[in-house]
Amino acid sequence: MSMDLLSGRLIVVVGAGGVGKTTLAAALALGSAQQGRRTLVMTFDPSLRLKDALGVGDAAKDEPIRVMEEGSGFLDAALLDAKQTFDRLIRTYAPDADAAQRIFANRFYQDMAGNLAGILEYMAMERLFEMRASGRYDQIILDTPPTRQAMDFLQAPERMMNLVDSKAIRFALDPWWDGKGEKNLAFRLAARGVMELSDRIIGRRFLLDVVEFIRAFAPLFDGFRSRAEEVRNLLKAEETRFLLVAGPGPDRVPDAMFFLRKLEESGHHLGPVLVNQVHPDPGPAAADPGLALLRFLADRDRRGLELLRSLFPGGQDILPVALEPLPPGDLPTLARLFEKLSSPAQG
Amino acid sequence: MSALDRIAERQLVVVTGKGGVGKTTLTAMLGSLLAARGRRVLLLEVDPRESLHQTLGTEPSGGEIVQAGPRLGLQNLQPAAVIEALVREKVPLAYLVRKITESAAFHQFVEGAPGLKETALLGYAYRALQSGHRPRFDLVIVDAPATGHSAALLAAPGLLAQAAQGGQLGDMAADLATFLADASRCGVVLATLAEEMPVQETLELITRLQVKLGLRPDLVVANGLYPVPRPGAAKANDPPRELLQARRRLNEAELARLATVWDGPLVELPLLPLGRGPALVEALAILLEEADR
Ligand SMILES: Nc1ncnc2c1ncn2[C@@H]1O[C@H](COP(=O)(O)OP(=O)(O)OP(=O)(O)O)[C@@H](O)[C@H]1O
Ligand SMILES: [Mg+2]
Repeated sequence: MSMDLLSGRLIVVVGAGGVGKTTLAAALALGSAQQGRRTLVMTFDPSLRLKDALGVGDAAKDEPIRVMEEGSGFLDAALLDAKQTFDRLIRTYAPDADAAQRIFANRFYQDMAGNLAGILEYMAMERLFEMRASGRYDQIILDTPPTRQAMDFLQAPERMMNLVDSKAIRFALDPWWDGKGEKNLAFRLAARGVMELSDRIIGRRFLLDVVEFIRAFAPLFDGFRSRAEEVRNLLKAEETRFLLVAGPGPDRVPDAMFFLRKLEESGHHLGPVLVNQVHPDPGPAAADPGLALLRFLADRDRRGLELLRSLFPGGQDILPVALEPLPPGDLPTLARLFEKLSSPAQG
Repeated sequence: MSALDRIAERQLVVVTGKGGVGKTTLTAMLGSLLAARGRRVLLLEVDPRESLHQTLGTEPSGGEIVQAGPRLGLQNLQPAAVIEALVREKVPLAYLVRKITESAAFHQFVEGAPGLKETALLGYAYRALQSGHRPRFDLVIVDAPATGHSAALLAAPGLLAQAAQGGQLGDMAADLATFLADASRCGVVLATLAEEMPVQETLELITRLQVKLGLRPDLVVANGLYPVPRPGAAKANDPPRELLQARRRLNEAELARLATVWDGPLVELPLLPLGRGPALVEALAILLEEADR
């Protein structure tokens, strides 16, 4: 079974940190645009080299910027920034400017905004949703942040929904809190039998901050919740493909398997798997230690591919991507990388 | 004083760097070098995909301390388990402990509270050093998770101490922050590849550690360097040699970029034709010790 690398209106590029997701996402996006599509690539944390190649600076943080146009197709690129997206979201859903301001001023929010597990991932999904709804693009390719074990971004919408529904939140919204003041808080907590945990261990001020944050947030919850649900559905939709990028060699296989299993279990649609930075075969063994090393690395990387294929005998296209002498630093080299990706000579 | 001499005097060393650059391998190397110098060393791995034990050729830790050699132990830690143990220790009533740790609110708190997991982890390391702890260790080396910004790991106790002022959690975090700020007892070792993204992150981390925590790494290890090509060996149209040469040039350019910011101890380690395991760790450890002299 052969799969088109560019099937799917939305392509989410996933994989462990440092395997080259961002570069491959950019190459795919460029290829997509050159085939005549209106394409957007949304990326985290590109290298300086890649930023140069795409010509994106900090301006791309707010709005997508145009990278190239060719015939009917074009490529836009946007840089993702969690805090900015979160702030914008709050401005959108807050009933009025005051409510938004209360959240921004809360100390807990300031600590948390960039920090809360899954926020970055959730924001990426949120932005993806926004961009798709804009109707400006035929294809959107989303690079994902370097979350390692945790497939945080898949669980992100779910977690956001759970958070909104959770007992902790209901508890914080309980009108009992309205008396304000520490005495009242202590009393309420004691009444709930969690005095021990809250007061002795966590400290009251912290708890008050959290409660205040949740209350400031409350008016946003309904909008948030339904949005999170829509995002979740979009990720599972037929039009969305997950494209996994893995590192080379057998030691990287467990990482790849982890992602593959998680995606399958959760009912997301898998695209092809790209095994990146595979050392090419240097030919017959030579006395030169450099070539002997290449020999070792080529064998190691081939074993990695074989192992991955044996663990996934049923289907996935598993495509090796050769280690290039230099990482792509301009559009022509990115375009060449795309040609190599899509040429059947691979593997 | 050599970097290894300095590290040998530490009580806590955090090994950090981007994903896949060799942190776990370096943790194992430092562990075996320092245990050989007579220190009782515990290696802590915080990664559910256990791999530290493979580098040293032991069975997986599964959360327990495993002996990896004389005076050398290793342990895989799950932050959530450490936090639960902490609650168990602080809350006297078993039924209350269960009520707390089984509640959804608790799990959301653990996931969401800034710095909590990190603090629990470092707190565990700190306690393994106390005189009452059995077995007792002189030095704990933490193989930090590759979460991008590891300055956050070290800054966590300070932040939490502020946020949770007045509770036991806050007090504990404050103690820990004081310990971490003690430059004579705690150190950081950075691992990187001589490639653009890892070097970029290393440079940012060096600056952030300096600015946020007033901390300077004990050692930076540039790992996985491609070999210097043999002189005169290059022919025209010889892709394998061109690949090697290009990769080596890239390594050298990135080492030069690293040197513009980092003037402290730096060790360069080659990419070796060995798979993950004790042979690789031993070969690299010898090279590290030689380069450090
Ligand atoms: N100098 C070296 N020569 C050859 N192989 C190496 C070298 N250093 C590390 N490796 C190999 O590179 C791979 C990654 O190393 P390691 O697991 O130590 O990295 P890590 O930074 O801990 O990765 P992760 O971020 O996934 O935890 C392993 O297969 C290891 O054996
Ligand atoms: Mg590791």
